[in-house]
Amino acid sequence: MTGAAACLAGFEGIHVVIHGSSGCYYYPSTLIGAPLYGTFILENEVVFGSDNRLKEVIGDLSGKGGRIAVITTCVPAVMGEDISAILPGEDILLVDSPGFAGELETGYRAALLALAPKVDPKRKGVNIDGVSLSDPFFKGNIAEVTRLLRMAGVPVGTVFCRDWAEMAAHAAPLTIGTNTDFASGVGKFLGGTLGLPALRATFERLEGEFPDADASLVFDELDMQEERIVGACDRFLRRHTPPSVAIFAGAAYAGYAADMLKRYLDAEIRFVGTRNDPPAGRKTRYRQEKANDFGLVAERLRETAPDLVIGSAFEQPVCPDAAFVGIIPPLQDRVRLTYPPLAGTQGTLRFVEEILNTCMDRVKHRKAPGSPPVP
Amino acid sequence: MTSNPLPASTCRIAGCTLTGALSVVTQVTDAVTVVHGPGGCTHHNFSLLYATALDNGRPALPPLVSTGLLETDVVFGGEAALDRTLDKVMAGKPGAVFVLSTCIVETIGDDIEKVCGSKQGCPVIVVPTAGFLGGSFQAGVNNALISLAAMAGEATPNGKVNLIGEKNLEYEVEENYAEVKRLLSLLGLSVNLRFVRNITTHEIGALGSARLNVLRDPSLVPVGEYLRSRFGTPYVPGFPIGISGNSSFLEDVAHTCGIDGTESVGRERAREEKLLEKFRDMAGSGVFFSPIPPDPEGRIAAQDLARKVGLRFSDEGSPVPVPVIPPVGLSGTERLLHRWRRALFA
Repeated sequence: MTGAAACLAGFEGIHVVIHGSSGCYYYPSTLIGAPLYGTFILENEVVFGSDNRLKEVIGDLSGKGGRIAVITTCVPAVMGEDISAILPGEDILLVDSPGFAGELETGYRAALLALAPKVDPKRKGVNIDGVSLSDPFFKGNIAEVTRLLRMAGVPVGTVFCRDWAEMAAHAAPLTIGTNTDFASGVGKFLGGTLGLPALRATFERLEGEFPDADASLVFDELDMQEERIVGACDRFLRRHTPPSVAIFAGAAYAGYAADMLKRYLDAEIRFVGTRNDPPAGRKTRYRQEKANDFGLVAERLRETAPDLVIGSAFEQPVCPDAAFVGIIPPLQDRVRLTYPPLAGTQGTLRFVEEILNTCMDRVKHRKAPGSPPVP
Repeated sequence: MTSNPLPASTCRIAGCTLTGALSVVTQVTDAVTVVHGPGGCTHHNFSLLYATALDNGRPALPPLVSTGLLETDVVFGGEAALDRTLDKVMAGKPGAVFVLSTCIVETIGDDIEKVCGSKQGCPVIVVPTAGFLGGSFQAGVNNALISLAAMAGEATPNGKVNLIGEKNLEYEVEENYAEVKRLLSLLGLSVNLRFVRNITTHEIGALGSARLNVLRDPSLVPVGEYLRSRFGTPYVPGFPIGISGNSSFLEDVAHTCGIDGTESVGRERAREEKLLEKFRDMAGSGVFFSPIPPDPEGRIAAQDLARKVGLRFSDEGSPVPVPVIPPVGLSGTERLLHRWRRALFA
């Protein structure tokens, strides 16, 4: 349900209604930070039917313009009401996405399927996908990938899912991604933007598709910034051993983090735990396992005893002495006012910067008087 | 509440029973709480509880486990999933296991009592919750407190005071505790048990020892009444609200405990005057509340404070913040006055 809300609420002009209890409403409303509506059903509506309540909420919204989307939560899904029959004649986008149906990414895909985006062969530019309002990096990712596309002279098509609602029906024929866990499946996919090697490959393909495009400035930037990253990491390695790392995130971000740490720091990747199912058939060189159960997460952390944890505020306290970098919600222990990216050049620069700083802070902290020795 | 969610009546925004109960039971540090429902119900509460713990400088993960119901469990029944989860949790030998249900579980009709009744090895306590099927957030809090109180037996009186139902999701919960503790100390009283905040199952046994229960707010009166009938402990219905509620709280506590508090109350009133004097530079300034406090108690307390400081209500004035939960005691009042001065002059 939250994934479906994160998808549809990203489109301006779609009013998203969470059909369920107030408890079901609070989580998506706090996580995704976009306006949501709710039916806030009560016990009598579960017993006698929620049709009147749904009509009431839809009726209040129908004068606001735009399209209405109704996302069902667990109880309405089980009640088996035919919502399209309850709201005849209304152009309602219905998404059956109860919590028991799967993870956040499942709901996101279900919502996209219901939205049924279309490619407009005449639309110029390239779509950006992989954007989910639940991702703390989504705003930074959009800004960064847009900047790089402008540098290459390639117009931005539709942003899935952060755009005007009508743009979903007029997507460009080509797409690049910021996070494959939220792939749109719209148009021909040219590649991702997580990590400098992927970025280079994607912009090479873009040049092939757009005869007028010139990505030389992007490639220059990649060369220059990668040199800076290598320089900083090399300096770190002159005094420190590479970190041993456990990573917990969605499959795309987790794979990116592992690859970057291996590439620039020769880090020992002890464990990669994914919150969602990794894409079928994709091989990994790391010890990887789906870990969306906190008991398993804690077990793997204790077992692998990393000195660097990449993940969320959930994993951090299990290894309080380890360095920590957050890449997936919840990230609750700090004030965050800026919109950093994880994709693009700036995303990788920031990621490596965070890694190096947190690892060096850990060493300083452990060298402080009274602290245990650094292993 | 955010973003115009269109509730037709206030009962629709009275919150989730499950969240209310979890805000209580997860504060028993040696117990494990099992949420019988889909993973999402646990995930978002886990996130909320952990965020609150971080805010309060106690970065402990809530002891919370989900039965992780999937579609097949919803179709064929979730009792087997609960049974499996309880076995797994109880293998860790917790002090107690609290089992909370969710909307979907109540809808499909799982017999939670039967599954829990079959378990041995530690107390397995079913707390009545069921999201919107169970009532409101406050109903969840009250149900959890009463369920946990049932674990306590007779205890030897020790002359101390229990704090009942502190708002564990409140940002200022520790500051409010410190203020109430300070006020109690002025009467020579100390805190027996924070029921329920950061305690063990063993400590719950001391619940009946206290001479007085101080409820966090009047919505806990049913809990206060339960504890009075169970242990004979009298209660005062709420923490001190605003500047006027500060010394009157002291008077209530003194009266209920049969203590002569005249001298302490007099000294506290002098402190109140001194505090108002400190903020007298705001006198005459035009203000309006933004947002208007939804709770009448908070609105009255804020209006009272504004009048005492000499603020003038005017639509043309400066907006000053008013917390959803009214300020507690003198220290809460002082923090609010600093926020008002920032809004006026910063």
